Amino acid sequence: MGFSVTTLIFVGIGIVASLCTRICFNRGPSANLFHLTLVLTATICCWMMWAIVYLAQMKPLIVPILSEGE
Amino acid sequence: MGEVARGGCCPPMDLFRSEPMQLVQLIIPIESAHRTVSYLGDLALLQFKDLNADKSPFQRTYATQIKRCGEMARRLRFFKEQMLRAGVLPKYSTTPIGVNIDDLEVKLTEIESELTEMNANGEKLQRSHNELVEYKLVLQKAGEFFHTAQSRALEQQREYESRQLSGESMETPLLQDQELLGDTKQVKLGFLAGLVPREKSMVFERILFRATRGNVFLRQATVEEPVIDPVSGDKTEKNVFVVFYAGEKAKAKILKICDAFGANRYPFAEELGKQAQMIREVSGRLVELKTTIDAGLVHRDNLLNSIGAQFEQWDALVRKEKSINHTLNMLSLDVTKKCLVAEGWSPVFATKQIQDALQRAALDSNSQVNAIFQVLHTRELPPTYFRTNKFTSSYQGIIDSYGVAKYQEANPTVYTVVTFPFLFAVMFGDWGHGICLLLAALYFIIREKKLSSQKLDDITEMTFGGRYVILLMALFSIYTGFIYNEFFSVPFEIFGPSAYECRDLSCRDATTVGLIKVRDTYPFGVDPVWHGTRSELPFLNSLKMKMSILLGVAQMNLGIIMSYFNAKFFRNCVNVWFQFIPQMIFLNSLFGYLSLLIIVKWCTGSQADLYHILIYMFLSPTDDLGENQLFVGQKNLQLVLLLLAFVSVPWMLIPKPFILKKQHEARHGVESYTPLENTDESLQVESNHDSHGHEEFEFSEVFVHQLIHTIEFVLGAVSNTASYLRLWALSLAHSELSSVFYEKVLMMAWGYNNVIILIVGLIVFIFATVGVLLVMETLSAFLHALRLHWVEFQNKFYEGDGYKFHPFSFSLQDDEE
Repeated sequence: MGFSVTTLIFVGIGIVASLCTRICFNRGPSANLFHLTLVLTATICCWMMWAIVYLAQMKPLIVPILSEGE
Repeated sequence: MGEVARGGCCPPMDLFRSEPMQLVQLIIPIESAHRTVSYLGDLALLQFKDLNADKSPFQRTYATQIKRCGEMARRLRFFKEQMLRAGVLPKYSTTPIGVNIDDLEVKLTEIESELTEMNANGEKLQRSHNELVEYKLVLQKAGEFFHTAQSRALEQQREYESRQLSGESMETPLLQDQELLGDTKQVKLGFLAGLVPREKSMVFERILFRATRGNVFLRQATVEEPVIDPVSGDKTEKNVFVVFYAGEKAKAKILKICDAFGANRYPFAEELGKQAQMIREVSGRLVELKTTIDAGLVHRDNLLNSIGAQFEQWDALVRKEKSINHTLNMLSLDVTKKCLVAEGWSPVFATKQIQDALQRAALDSNSQVNAIFQVLHTRELPPTYFRTNKFTSSYQGIIDSYGVAKYQEANPTVYTVVTFPFLFAVMFGDWGHGICLLLAALYFIIREKKLSSQKLDDITEMTFGGRYVILLMALFSIYTGFIYNEFFSVPFEIFGPSAYECRDLSCRDATTVGLIKVRDTYPFGVDPVWHGTRSELPFLNSLKMKMSILLGVAQMNLGIIMSYFNAKFFRNCVNVWFQFIPQMIFLNSLFGYLSLLIIVKWCTGSQADLYHILIYMFLSPTDDLGENQLFVGQKNLQLVLLLLAFVSVPWMLIPKPFILKKQHEARHGVESYTPLENTDESLQVESNHDSHGHEEFEFSEVFVHQLIHTIEFVLGAVSNTASYLRLWALSLAHSELSSVFYEKVLMMAWGYNNVIILIVGLIVFIFATVGVLLVMETLSAFLHALRLHWVEFQNKFYEGDGYKFHPFSFSLQDDEE
């Protein structure tokens, strides 16, 4: 799986989660907007973290060097 | 001011802005005032202003009522004390009582006098009971002395007589007859009997001996059971004593000494017959007294029980009454003395509810006139009120403990709810520890109802209060744990095989040159192969350091964007053009560019040295980048960015103070010529509230202020970015600690192949994990996440100089006392 596929999965999860909160916790427009903000912030944070770790490992400058004991 | 119609594309977001507030004025007829305030207290949506701040508590209208309430509260405290002493627990019942406060006052007074009388009587009876018990003891013990003494005397006499019968021997002293004669001549001995506390008995004896120069004879006998001292009412261990003395002088001395030692004396008859009679009498009286005391106690217990059944309600009623009167004292009396005038803040949405409450109160108290409700216009800053629920309140608490938001200021809570647990989890990434934390949070959430009614100790209460924060912290820790691929520091190949393999089949150079990447990048998180390799630390350090900077720059940008929302909301164009935009440019031309370089470096796999690039961007921007060049046109871009950064500093500093000055002059010019618009209303308001509009404009002050702001931002951009490196440091510490515990404790114990060592190792591992990683590390990661939000995020936009909305409410009274 490449970078863009997983990113798409994150987008998908974000959309599904926002729809879920919209359907399950429908408490009027301003509360819904708040919930949407929460879900989007969470999705973006999680995606950022994943993307950073993924990108860092894409073109390795350092490779794993096994320690002597193994 | 923030009275802006909030139209536009989207509805207003919950929690983003505090509730719009209004200053309202109520004019309440005096006959319905009490009920009105009571209903408003039930509603809990109005914060009364103290209109009598200049009056002392005694000068206020309802001072006497408050005194009455205080007196009633004192009586209730007295009852509570009595109930505690008698072991009667107040029962909690919710059935409302139909007692009004006046009846209750009468009732409480009656009960109090009854109870004090009962107590006094009981005490008196108890005292005489104790005295009798002591007396009986004295009679018994001293009786024994006399009995043994007498029997010994009889024995001696018998012996003597028998000796005399056997004829005079050689040993018979010659003066025996005289001695016997002398005996009869001797003065009659007096004696005293009583009880003395055991610990003092030795001293008592010594003092008696010294005071009378040895001319006393003291007998003591210990009383096995401790007796209750009639004077103090305490249980003490005592000795019965009988002291024989000669002469009135000695008696006076002994009496004094007895008094000094707290030794109670009791009359005592010498003859055995009389003694027996006394004992009988005393026993009879004891039984009588006991029944009387018991009957009294039963009566008292009944009374206390009946108090206990209603205590909570009375207490609630008195507290309510007291707070109502306190509130009534804040209202000012109308000139006609027929109305009370109240002023206070209320959320705009509560208008209808307040009007309803007023109407109900007028109806229920048969008042002729309704209370009048009107909205006042003021320049005073309203209090800040967020409608939080049990989930958001703890997050709002985190923000509030830094500073309460200014009225209608953008509230960081909307982002903090997610970013706070997220940044915590970046430092606490381990899904094993995350699951432990999740279980703890779930325990608190499941037992929420039970725990919230209980009284908890400080630490538990804090944890309980933050249970929803801990819940999200745990969930994000599990997520970041998967990203870091650590389960109690052990990696798993959950998302497929590792991307690295040996270079050839023999795997000879795996420990020297290293493995080679053969597959696609590990799809989710850190490749498990890194764990335990020699290059693990250099790799993770570089990754986490760069991640900290990227996350930090993102969050700081969010903070600056929030300042844009604030400026837009308060219609402050100056802040948009001369604060938001140059700040954005400055931060992103330096650290946004650094982030870009990091990402480009990762994507291209370039060997460029980013520190070198960034340092030489300042030192010699025109030099060729050489091998550090990451992309074409980098040098020109750097020049442009550097220029922008240099331009944005004076852009932030200079124009704003001048524009403010101009605006101030323009406003003053206008105000001095146009008359006040609606005269009566604004006059009324001005008289009550300090206006904020007519402050002196001190240009130098404003300029210095702006200078400080600018310096703070420019230096802060550097130091705050560096501050985000704590994310790296703490996450490194966490993973290193947990791997030390795992390898040096658990794996070493496993290596011994011994069950006992394994169990000991397991116990040490569990304690170390819970104590150090789950408690200490959680706390430190929490504090660092807190700091990153309070300082690095919020100083970009948050003023936090507002004050909280404290509505008058009955449910909140418990906190006050």
